[in-house]
Amino acid sequence: MKPVYLIPALLVALGALPGCATLESQQQLEDAAMTFQSISEVPQILQDAPKDVMRAGESLERAKRFAGYWGSAEDVIHYAYLSKRYSEIARQHSEQLQNQRRATQLSMELERLRQAVQEARMLDMQHQGRWLEDQMVSLAAAETDRGLVMTLGDVLFRAASAELGASANRTLLKIVHFLQLNPKRRVRIEGYTDNRGDAAENLALSKARAQTVGDFMQSLGIDAGRIEVVGYGEQHRVAENASARGRAQNRRVEILFSDEQGRLSSPR
Amino acid sequence: MIKHLCGTLVLFAMVGCASDPAPIEQLRLTEQALNQARSLGASDLTLAEQKLAAAEAAMKGEHYREARLQAEQAELDARLAEARVLNDKSQQELAELHRRIARLREQLGALQ
Repeated sequence: MKPVYLIPALLVALGALPGCATLESQQQLEDAAMTFQSISEVPQILQDAPKDVMRAGESLERAKRFAGYWGSAEDVIHYAYLSKRYSEIARQHSEQLQNQRRATQLSMELERLRQAVQEARMLDMQHQGRWLEDQMVSLAAAETDRGLVMTLGDVLFRAASAELGASANRTLLKIVHFLQLNPKRRVRIEGYTDNRGDAAENLALSKARAQTVGDFMQSLGIDAGRIEVVGYGEQHRVAENASARGRAQNRRVEILFSDEQGRLSSPR
Repeated sequence: MIKHLCGTLVLFAMVGCASDPAPIEQLRLTEQALNQARSLGASDLTLAEQKLAAAEAAMKGEHYREARLQAEQAELDARLAEARVLNDKSQQELAELHRRIARLREQLGALQ
């Protein structure tokens, strides 16, 4: 009779013991089970990291089996820990793979955009080239019987000097840009002066001024073969030398543009 | 009945001891995992390193079960650290791609 009473008592004791001594292991087991559930519910993780998910499941099963034995709290905690680690590894692994897939898509998009930007830039350059040409025709350049001529006024140079003033740069940069966009076109740079002072000096000054403009263009990458430089001194005036205004107009550098095939009209 | 139960428990305890050979292979695996994580630039390896040290100490004391548990945990700590590093890197790569795409879009917008 006695042993019969003892069995339920023992069972209670056995049941209570792991419950008491392993509150922590119970907690860890529940944690691991929840973590495992949270990843095994996600099809993407199952697909990306099947091995890690499987190991997480196996470790969890082990932990559960140990939980059924008395005195194995340590094993429960251990396998619950391993299970949680595997679950977390599976999640990280899947995230990484998803990022990589996304990166592949984005790389393709990046490449497409890069091409689009390149094309847009080309269009923009062509557009600017045309705009510049329009502007040159309408603003500074005049269509003459010698071709397209652009006049750089006296104010672009320091007085009686071949040195370029600061305001010249902007104008010359535009011309250089125009030549870069129109690689076949050539220019003849012609220097002129008024009739004051010594004629030979004026001729030298006109040549020097034209040369300065040519050098400037070369320094910005325009091939020397595309540039001709001529000095005419007092010749070919565009206004009377009697007035200060007329003389100022005569002191100039003219830039003659070739046609699109690079043909310049013959020198004066 | 009680005797029988006690006998079973003792047997259990003995099996627990007897079935734990020196976890040499596991320690090798753990070290490998740690080295790999380290070479990939994982920074949070303190936990894994501590557990590996504990496992090695337990090996010296011939506490093989303890050594195995510590080494197994250390291995997975290291593998997780490695997975995190790789994930971080892929995230940075994505961020960089997003940044470059945004910049190109801006350029394209300015050109059109």
